[in-house]
Amino acid sequence: MFKADLRAIRFTLYEHLKVQQLFELDAFSHLAREECDAVIDQCVRFAAEVTGPLSAPGDRAGCRVEDGRVVTPPGFREAWRTLFELGFLSFTMPVKAGGFGGPRAIGVVLSELQSGANTAFNMYPGLTHGAADLLEAFGSPRDHERFLAPMLEGRFAGTMCLTEPHAGSDVGATRTRARHLEGDVYAITGTKCFISSGDHDLTENIVHLVLARIDGAPPGTKGLSLFIVPKVWVEEGGALGGANDVATASIEHKLGIRASATATLTFGDDGRCRGILVGGRPHEGMRQMFRMMNGARIAVGVQGIAVASTAYLNALAYARERLQGSSVRHFKDPNAPRVPIIEHADVRRMLLEMKAKVEGMRTLAVKLALHADLAAALAATDEGRAAYHEGQVDLLTPVVKAYCADQAFRVAELAIQTYGGAGYVEDHPVEQYLRDAKIFSIYEGTNHIQALDLVSRKLSSRGGENLTAFLTEIGEFVARHGARPGLAAEIGALGAAAAALQRASGALLEFFTSGRLDQVTLVATPFLEIMAEVTIAHLLLDAALVAEARRVEAEGDHHQEDADFYRGKVMAAKFYVNFVLPGVHAKLAAIVGGDRSALDIPDAGFSTAR
Amino acid sequence: MKILVAIKQVPDTATQVKVGGDGKSIDTAGITWIVSPYDEYAVEEALRIKEKRGQGEVVAISLGPDRVREALRSCLAMGCDRAIHLNDAAWSAVDTLATARALAAVVTQEAPQLVLCGRQAIDDDMGAVTAQLAELLGWPCAYWIMEEAVDADGKTVRAARQVEGGLEVFDLPLPAVLAAQKGLNEPRYPTLKGIMGAKKKEIKDVKAADLGLGAEPAQLAVLGLEALPPRPPGRIIEGDVPSAVKELVRALREDAKAI
Repeated sequence: MFKADLRAIRFTLYEHLKVQQLFELDAFSHLAREECDAVIDQCVRFAAEVTGPLSAPGDRAGCRVEDGRVVTPPGFREAWRTLFELGFLSFTMPVKAGGFGGPRAIGVVLSELQSGANTAFNMYPGLTHGAADLLEAFGSPRDHERFLAPMLEGRFAGTMCLTEPHAGSDVGATRTRARHLEGDVYAITGTKCFISSGDHDLTENIVHLVLARIDGAPPGTKGLSLFIVPKVWVEEGGALGGANDVATASIEHKLGIRASATATLTFGDDGRCRGILVGGRPHEGMRQMFRMMNGARIAVGVQGIAVASTAYLNALAYARERLQGSSVRHFKDPNAPRVPIIEHADVRRMLLEMKAKVEGMRTLAVKLALHADLAAALAATDEGRAAYHEGQVDLLTPVVKAYCADQAFRVAELAIQTYGGAGYVEDHPVEQYLRDAKIFSIYEGTNHIQALDLVSRKLSSRGGENLTAFLTEIGEFVARHGARPGLAAEIGALGAAAAALQRASGALLEFFTSGRLDQVTLVATPFLEIMAEVTIAHLLLDAALVAEARRVEAEGDHHQEDADFYRGKVMAAKFYVNFVLPGVHAKLAAIVGGDRSALDIPDAGFSTAR
Repeated sequence: MKILVAIKQVPDTATQVKVGGDGKSIDTAGITWIVSPYDEYAVEEALRIKEKRGQGEVVAISLGPDRVREALRSCLAMGCDRAIHLNDAAWSAVDTLATARALAAVVTQEAPQLVLCGRQAIDDDMGAVTAQLAELLGWPCAYWIMEEAVDADGKTVRAARQVEGGLEVFDLPLPAVLAAQKGLNEPRYPTLKGIMGAKKKEIKDVKAADLGLGAEPAQLAVLGLEALPPRPPGRIIEGDVPSAVKELVRALREDAKAI
């Protein structure tokens, strides 16, 4: 069953990161915390009552193709309608586009709740949101009228069509072609595969955003343009026309998110498929698509947090109820009473690891979104600060995507381990969480692509200023709080880990300058992990300082439950620093050691078996 | 048609209620507050009547401390037009009769054609205020309403109340008071638009003096609250199946006296 911890979410939002600061800025002054809380409350209700109960049945039913059309599991259509009546998708959309202009920092919480309740269902609105956001940014007023408005009403859905059979991670190899017809309208031919929400029965139309090469355009990513290719043609006035020659060739049978249709689509089999050039601008496709890709990368990180959170809370509830074994204090007494497994040290270790990771990752995602909100809000008045916040969004996007994706799988695995055999069977939700989570490290750019993006682009962008600002913030934190009683050792350990990160980035630079690019790609993944663990440790310790002060107040007021909540925050930080963060030094040793075995081993050396 | 909906803010159904230090009230620390579920049916029905008639006004009203504003705000988010908050220290220890008296005073001022309530609040389950209010007003009243239909002229309401094994149908002349039962409707979720629009709607703060009421001694006094005793642990009958079944039957007959 879907579970959410609103107390922990509110702590992150308002007590720790203080997102209420946004309501003081012009860009968000039309909103107040009271409304945002009401929106979050409704979202919890929607998630728990509407989409949550459809998650396991949807997983069992999956999607199927009937008469060339994808049929989604029972209940999805009604849930879609309710979702759009409520309007969550419009929360972060600008007011001028018909949205509510809400902060992304709240928006990530809304998407966490929705993805946690039903990861597969939320793929459909998630893609629609991303496509709508792209059209809002780059579409012409006519595109807005014809496509954006119906998407926000839930009449049309959206997709992103990049991958082709021969162009996965290598987008530049795209073969889908566009031939000019008239104005902004082109004839589209090609095949796209692994298209999430590529076809379904939730809406009257689907707006595919398709990367294609206009005839005569240069090869590689620079020659790609982006097209709006509706499943059903939309006339100028908004009326639906005929079918637009977009066919569903097949859907995949997958390990997880089985209720999300992953389709292979063919465009223009009969030569009648038309697409509209986004914003009327040719060869801008990659730049435009990157907006949706960056949004989707953050969204995948948030999916990871979502699944990890509900997996953890389910494991916790089970550990509190399940009686097994006696306390280690009575290990000699066979008649000692059975205890709930939460009393066993190894279960506590697993639970606290899950808690620390879930809450640390959520803090990271909210902080990244807060950077994005501040960048947008300050753009007009304070260019310097806006650039700093924008830079942190760039730097942290691959970290959020890759780390949260990987850890979702690990947390789901720990959750199953906590259940024991009961977790391995369908009676409990955690086995589905594990299966659903595996895709996160693969789609929207594999985690290795994220690591390459971090080391080859993000570290050096703006002359390395983003990384410098990031490290400076941690350095100042360590200097300011290093003597704090109770947390001094952990804050010292953060300083040492940040130094390790700096040394690792120095080693990368040396590999780059000495032309050892293969060595860079070999260690990019452990480098990203170091960066992520330093980031999470910093945020957990920062939260612990806030929590420690609140704990003292709560104890003064005899609010025992509150005091325990805050003590839990402090302990999660200490645990992460002492049990997880030391790993950065092992990874650093591997990076600077320069071992080339994985590069130099002959292919046959892996095995001579065929 | 003007409809007044009386609601109560209560602890969330999932709350683990603890008895407070005085032994007579609950400890409110850390409680999540909600609109009592039966009252939500009343709000939903009022909104449906207004929507069906294409005109009218729905006014939410509640009595209680500052935190009750939040409950009224969520009624506004669902679609109520405005709200009245009976918020006065004079009402800090009211019983059902004093609550009904305060509500009756507001009803007299507002003069709605219909008052809707939940059949009872889920905190202390008294279920008394609605009847007391109707009595004070001298209006007809029907409880446990599963269906209702206001006639086209707005002169009468046909209300079906749940009774053992069926429905009992009444025609009540308006103005009248109805108390909603679960099953009357499915309350809507507040939309984002509703939530954002709620802050522009009025919540009027009303004191006892505004209604010409003074403090009155409560007719009811709570002597003490006791937590339920913890449920005794279950019993597992050991042994092979035939003898375990025998023992089970014996235990059900003699110990539990269940069969």
